[in-house]
Order: sequence, then structure tokens, then C-alpha cells
Amino acid sequence: MGKFVERLLGGPAGTVVTVEPDYIVINDGVSHSAVDEIAGVAAPERVLVIYDHDVPTGRPEAAAVLKKNLAFAERFGCQYIQAEGIGYQYMANEVVKPGEIVIGGGSHGSIFGAKGALGINVSVPELARVVETGRYSVVVPETEAVAVTGQLREGVSIMDAVLAFLAEKKELEKKAVEFYCPSLDQHQREVLCSMACITGAYTASVTEEDPKEERAFVLNLSTVEPMVMEPCESREAQKDARIHKRSSVEGLALRAGQIGGYTGGTIEELRKAAGMMEGRALARGFRLTVCPATSRDYIQAIDEGILAKFIDYGAQISAAGDHSVVVQGPGVMGPKERLITTGLYTFAGAMGCEDAEVYTGSVETVMAASACSRL
Amino acid sequence: MDKRFSGRIWKFGDDIDTDTIIPGKRGTIPTIEEMKRYAFELLKPEFGSTVQAGDILVAGSNFGCGSSREQAATVLSYNGVRCIIAKSFARIFFRNAFNSGILLLQCDGIHEVCEGGDIVTVDVDAQTVSVNGDTFTVGAIPENLFAIVSNGGLIEDTKRRIKAGLKKTEIRPLSLEQCRKKGYTMAEKLLKRNAGKEHVEPGDIVITRPDILMIHDIYTTYLLDTMEKIGATEIDDPDRVVIVWDHCMPTAVAKNDYSHYDAGLELAKRYGITKLHVGEGICHTIMHEAKYARPGDIATATDSHTTTYGGAGNFCSGIGTAEMAAALITGELWFKVPEAVKIVLNGHLQDGVMSKDVILKILGDIKADGGQYKSLEFTGPAAHEMSMEQRFTVANMALEAGAKCGLFEADEKTAAYYGMDIKEIDWICVDEKARYEKVLTYDVSELEPQLSCPQGVDNVHPVSEVMGTKIDEVYLGSCTNGSIEDMAAAARILKGRKVAKGLRFVVVPATNAIFKEAMELGYIRTFIEAGGVICHPCCGLCCGMPYGLMTDDERILSTANRNFIGRQGTKKTLSYLCSPTVAAATAVAGVVIDPRSL
Repeated sequence: MGKFVERLLGGPAGTVVTVEPDYIVINDGVSHSAVDEIAGVAAPERVLVIYDHDVPTGRPEAAAVLKKNLAFAERFGCQYIQAEGIGYQYMANEVVKPGEIVIGGGSHGSIFGAKGALGINVSVPELARVVETGRYSVVVPETEAVAVTGQLREGVSIMDAVLAFLAEKKELEKKAVEFYCPSLDQHQREVLCSMACITGAYTASVTEEDPKEERAFVLNLSTVEPMVMEPCESREAQKDARIHKRSSVEGLALRAGQIGGYTGGTIEELRKAAGMMEGRALARGFRLTVCPATSRDYIQAIDEGILAKFIDYGAQISAAGDHSVVVQGPGVMGPKERLITTGLYTFAGAMGCEDAEVYTGSVETVMAASACSRL
Repeated sequence: MDKRFSGRIWKFGDDIDTDTIIPGKRGTIPTIEEMKRYAFELLKPEFGSTVQAGDILVAGSNFGCGSSREQAATVLSYNGVRCIIAKSFARIFFRNAFNSGILLLQCDGIHEVCEGGDIVTVDVDAQTVSVNGDTFTVGAIPENLFAIVSNGGLIEDTKRRIKAGLKKTEIRPLSLEQCRKKGYTMAEKLLKRNAGKEHVEPGDIVITRPDILMIHDIYTTYLLDTMEKIGATEIDDPDRVVIVWDHCMPTAVAKNDYSHYDAGLELAKRYGITKLHVGEGICHTIMHEAKYARPGDIATATDSHTTTYGGAGNFCSGIGTAEMAAALITGELWFKVPEAVKIVLNGHLQDGVMSKDVILKILGDIKADGGQYKSLEFTGPAAHEMSMEQRFTVANMALEAGAKCGLFEADEKTAAYYGMDIKEIDWICVDEKARYEKVLTYDVSELEPQLSCPQGVDNVHPVSEVMGTKIDEVYLGSCTNGSIEDMAAAARILKGRKVAKGLRFVVVPATNAIFKEAMELGYIRTFIEAGGVICHPCCGLCCGMPYGLMTDDERILSTANRNFIGRQGTKKTLSYLCSPTVAAATAVAGVVIDPRSL
């Protein structure tokens, strides 16, 4: 069995397999609704209940979700994790080992592929079933190989590359994607894998073997330009949000920027952003929010003097956590205000008012905008 | 407005705070017209939809206590309320109400003989109110205050002054020698120095020229609007004005906060104000950290906890938007010289007991209205032993007793903090022969840590009586206890320890400078490693913003200054207030414990 997904699930493509995942994740983002349906927990030691979204709580309703999750974890003896930052990034850094299987209810579980672990996103009812039985059954998906070639140019990031890849609308629905990307570092691989599921792919991973003639697609980094994802109508429409070159919206006026998530809040991205503050000043009237991804990134950024630089630049530092969707809390946008963020959600209401416009771009794009209030 | 009129009664009890009049979470709705329907929404949900123009409120004592928010008065005014009769009124509300065109009458007996729905008749000249056949005497209303009400408030009044060609009051500040003249309270000395009066006494109205005026972002929209209504094209002295973005920055309530941010920038641009602090921390801490509010001077601001700088011997008291507009334009502000209470602090605080415990103890003793209109003046060896930060904590919370100000004597520590010569400020002291309304003496050596319990700042109990209470969230921050010393006190306890499972621990340093220093000293790392989360310096949860809001029946322990109903979550959330050491120890234990036991 050559393919990653086949090895980890234990069967060739097209066969039905049943596995006992190593970790089953419930958080306070979307997947907490599974808690309402779960009657029993088969393997509590493998269930992680994580508080990583509304940090600290922006509404009493959010506190009620935490109360429910904590009571659930205590009742069944599950692990309860909080104050570590974004759960998946924390797990990728400190919990998950190569060869393990992680099941969650989010949309970016494929991040674990960058570490040789299998991350699977499932629906809420499915998540509840997996927690109750400790088992997960699936028809092993086909694998598509993608070769990542060339080198990124100055001022262009891996996020631009993935956005460019998404813009091409490759047919990857329900497929397992294997990236052959020897030139990318670990962080870049995590961004690549975590974003790959926006295509509708089943999961993503990294392979060290050149797929050669099997390669379905090629992503040539050398030709990538800075990219942006446009606002879209609803969470459901997020996968169809338009993506195009930043140059096509050059000069668009902005009120705020946000750096955070796997794509902006990790120490690697924060270092890049800090480098871009040299010789620049935050534009008056532009609000910049910086959200370190994990507590480890937060502490590292303190130690390297990066947070102090952000503070002197005039940025607002949010608590470590996932702030890509904020109903009420630091960084929200008012009516008709426009935001550029490294977060991956641009649907109406994702960052405050329904009529605020959210654009996604790289850290480089956000930092450049912070000095002039324009894209 | 007629001097004799009648209206239907809405009856209220004692200690109706401004959060009850208009909940904190409604306080950033951009227009008063929209906001007014939420008046009393938790206490009398029918009020907003059924109140009629001309209705009269009858209340017990201390009406309008709590937050300075002027909207508490303006929403009532916009709802057509023109008169409130109460046993007593909170200080800032008193000013705000007159400035919004509401007549306030102090009356003792009426509350016992009337019910909501009865009709009361007011006769201003006869100084009486009558209901159900009973007539009661009320205090006299000075002509100038009645004129402000008659004119519909201070805004119209200021317009008239501008139209008449703004005439400045001639003020010549006193010399150092004149300042040193004995026999006065600190409040009297500070007011007479600025007002250039050789002699003042309690009850006198003095016209001052504040040395510094601070505007915070909650009020920028309303202030801009008021300045427009008045038609002001310039202000008296832009160099005396500071704007701080701290309540709504980072922008956290989507449909409101952006407008406060924008309005602040617009005020700065329009009136040439250059002392701007955008998202750099809490206004009151910045005011002394940046040395804007100095010993011997007068400061004023659009927030209730303006009393903070009294820790440095600065006379400072909060005002509302209309008054701020008038003060910006004229450069002047009237004050009524307050009565004073001397508080002598003897002994030495034990390890783990902080100045917060001292002021909580005092609040528990004298209650939320015990300092009404008064200057609380702190002296004694334990007062001088306190660091500047600890003094600011006490002065900050003096407001919660309804005090006009809370003043500490200037000493070498004050001089060193401000880089001043002690000789310039040695007159800021308690005089033996000064007339104090009363003297309270405390020996702080035996003091144990104190907690304000649900739901009132003055419901104070020693930690031994609250021990073992399960806590769901601990909040370390605010202008009361967000200083570097507070961070250090908490970090010492949390170093190498872990926060209790499931307990949420939120830390918000008061300013960027404190945040950076706490990073350098390793405190932030300690908090994170213990299991806390850190937010950017701002007012945060203390003012009810979304930094750890709670749900029903959850308990929060906070180092902030207010535990009013609904402020930190729902009306069923239970709020406790305490010192940073109690907060840190409790975060570890998951239940309230005495930090001295760790």
C-alpha cells in the first residue's frame, strides 16, 4: 500500500475500513454541538475537549458553551484543554505523532498531514457517533498527487501559493491530496496541508517521494503572485469565494488588518511581520490586530522581542487562539468597514457586522496595507 | 419650565446605579434616541415603552450611583423625565442630570407615602412636593441651576455664552506661600490654589481652570455630537486635552465601537488635539503614567474613576459629556467645595494583604454612599508606606463610596514618581486644624484580605467568610489593579503553579508600558504557563466589554472595581472583587482562598 491515506487507514482505495482514531477533538467553535447528541464515550482518554475559539468569551452564550463542554469532559473523564491557543496547531506542535489519526469537526484537520499524521474532518453527527463508539468507518479515498516546484519570489508567501492553487479550482473533491514539496519548510507544509481541504479534499499530506508521472497537478511557486480571497455571502458559500491576484484590487481602501491563525499567527509568520515593521509606521486610522496562534508562539514572540515591536508599532495583541471568526470580541469590524486578514473566512458576519467586507491575504499583504490603509 | 407642575410617579428603591438605569452593554449604542428604550430594562422592562413625558421618578437614597455614564441622565431626559425626587443623589449623576435638563429634588419623606402611578405635585418656589394629601419640604434650587434646567440643559446654556461673546473668568493661581497656609483640607487647598481664592469652605462654588482634561472613547461620539450642537469651531487650549481609546479599542462590539474610534480621531483633527493614546491602555493609568495628572493640579475627565490620580495629590473628578464640551470651549469648570473625611491608616500591611483590601474594608464600613460628595483624605504611616501604585488603587475606588475625590498627601515617593522637588508640593497635606466632617482610624496590621461579594461593591466580607466558594473565572486587570506591582504580586503566586482545571484566567495589563515591562520581567510567561490568557491593555471586562463575559450562575472573581448586576455577564452571573493576590491564589485553587495560606 503506497499511498499515505491507504497506509494509515489500513486498506487500498475503494475498500471499507474501520479504525480507532488516536484523537477525537471537540472544540467550542462548531463541533461543540456534538456534545448535545453524545450519550456515552467509548474511549474518554482519546477524546480532547478544547477551548480555543472565543478566547476570552465574548458573549454569555459562549460561556454557556464552555460550561457545557467542561461538564461533558468531567462527566466522561475526557481531557479538557484550554489556554494553549489554536487546538489543531497546539496538537500539531505538541501532541500528535506521525502515523496517528485525528478526527475533528472543523475544516482544517488536514494540517496534521504535514507531520505524517492523518487529519479527518467529519460532520457533527458523525463526530458524535465516533465519540460514542470510538470507531470510524470510511471508504478509503483515491489519492491525487501534487508536485510543488520552483521557489517563491520575494514578498510572496506560501499562503499566496495555496490561494493561487485554490483559484485554479482543481477537481479534488473527496480525494486525498499528497503534496511532494521538498523545498518547503515544516511551517509552510502545515499551511499547505491545512488550507488544502478548502478544495473539498478528504485530507492532505506530504510525501517525500517524487510522484513523477503520477503527479496530477503541478504548483509552480516561481510564478505565484500575491493573492487575495474576496468576501462571500455565507459560510456555506465560503468554498466558492472568489480568489484572484492582489494586483486586480490594488489601492482598495481598508480600515483594519488582522494577523493570526496557522497562516499568520505562528512564530515564523510573526517574525516575517516584525521584519516588515522596520522603517514603517502604522497608518493613522488603521487598526492592526495580532493574534499569536498558540501559547508557545506567544511566549516565543515575547522572547524574541516581536510582541514589544508590535506594541510599539501600534498593534493590538489578542489572546492566543483561533480568531478567524469573531462575533463579538477584539478586532471586529463596523458597518461597511473593510478588513484584510490572514484568516480563511471571508463570509458576511465572519468578523463582526454583516455588511463589513473581509478579504484574506498573506502576512506580507496585511503588513504592507497597515502602513498605507490600502491594498 | 413652570415652577409648579405635576407628574405621574415611577417608584424606585435605594442605590439605583447607572447600570440599572442603562445597562453597560447598551452604553455604546451610537444614538441616545435608540438607546433610550433600554432604560431600566433589567429592573422595569416596561419603562422604556410606557414612560410618558412629564413623568416623575421617586427614589430612595443614592440614586444614580456607580458609573459616571452621562447617558444614565440623558436617556431619562430623552424619555421625557424632567424631575426626579430622591432621598439623595450620587455626585456625578447630580451634575449630569442638571446638565441634561432634569430637576433633582432631595426629599426624605415622600418615598414612604407614595406608589408608582400616583400623581405628585412640585412647587419649586414654595420648596414643596405633595402626594396623596401629604406635603414635604425640599431643598432650595439656586437660580443658575434652575436656569440650566429651564433652558433644556447645559448645551443651550453654553450656546448662549458663546453668542454673548465668550468672557473668561479672571483667575490668578495662588503662590506657593499662599498654598502653604494652614487650616485647610487637601480638597480645599487644591481648589483654592487653582481658583486663586485666599479662602474657601465646603459648599462654596469655585470656578477652576483645569490643568488637564481627558476624554475617553466611550464619550467621543456624544462629545462630537454635542460640540456640533453647540457649534464650537475651536476649543480653549488643545494642549490641555488628552484623548484615550481604551473602552472600545480594540474594537470589540461590532456595530458600535468603530464609531467611537472614528469620532475620537475626528475630534483630534477638528480641534487640534495631539495628546492621543490609541489602544495603548486604560486612560486613568495613562494619566499618571504619562504624568499628565500632576500633584497640586486639577484634572477632569469623562469617566467616573478619574479620582485615581488623587493618589498623587491631584484634585480630580469625573464629569459628563455636556460639561466636558463646555469645559473644552470655556476652559473653565465649576466645583462645589466638598466636605472632607480624614482617614488615618496606622500599622503595617501583612504580606499578601494589599491596598485593595484597605479600600474594600473602608467601603464595607462606610457603604456605597458613605463618601457622597465628599473628599476622602488619607493620612497616617500606612498611607505613606504604600507605593504610588497602591495609592492609585485606593484613590480609584474612593469613587465607589460616592466620593468626589480620594486624596493622598504628597511625600518623597510622590516627588520621585513625578521627578519634582518635594518643596513644590509639600503643602498637599492634611492640616491639624482643618475641619473634617469626621475622622476614621484604621489599624491595618490585623487586616485580612477582603472581598466585595454579589452584588454590590459595599457588600464586603473578609476572605475567611468567603473561603471555599467555587469560582469559574478570575480576571486580573483594570485601572484599579492592572499595574506592574499588581502583575508582580500575582506572578509571585502563580510561578510554577497551574490554574485549576476548567477555570478561566484572564490577564489584562493596564497599559502598553506595563504590558511590555511584564513581558521583560517574565510575568506574562508565568501567567501563560500557569494556564492564563493575556489580552491587550484596555478596560476589558471591567466595563463589561467582551473579555470573558460569563453565563448564568457562574462566579467571577475580579481585581476590578465594580460588581454591579449584569456587568460581567448575565443578570444571574455572580461577581466578586478582590486584590491581585487573592485573585492569583484563587485561580490556582479553583475556590476562594486566603493568599497567605499558599
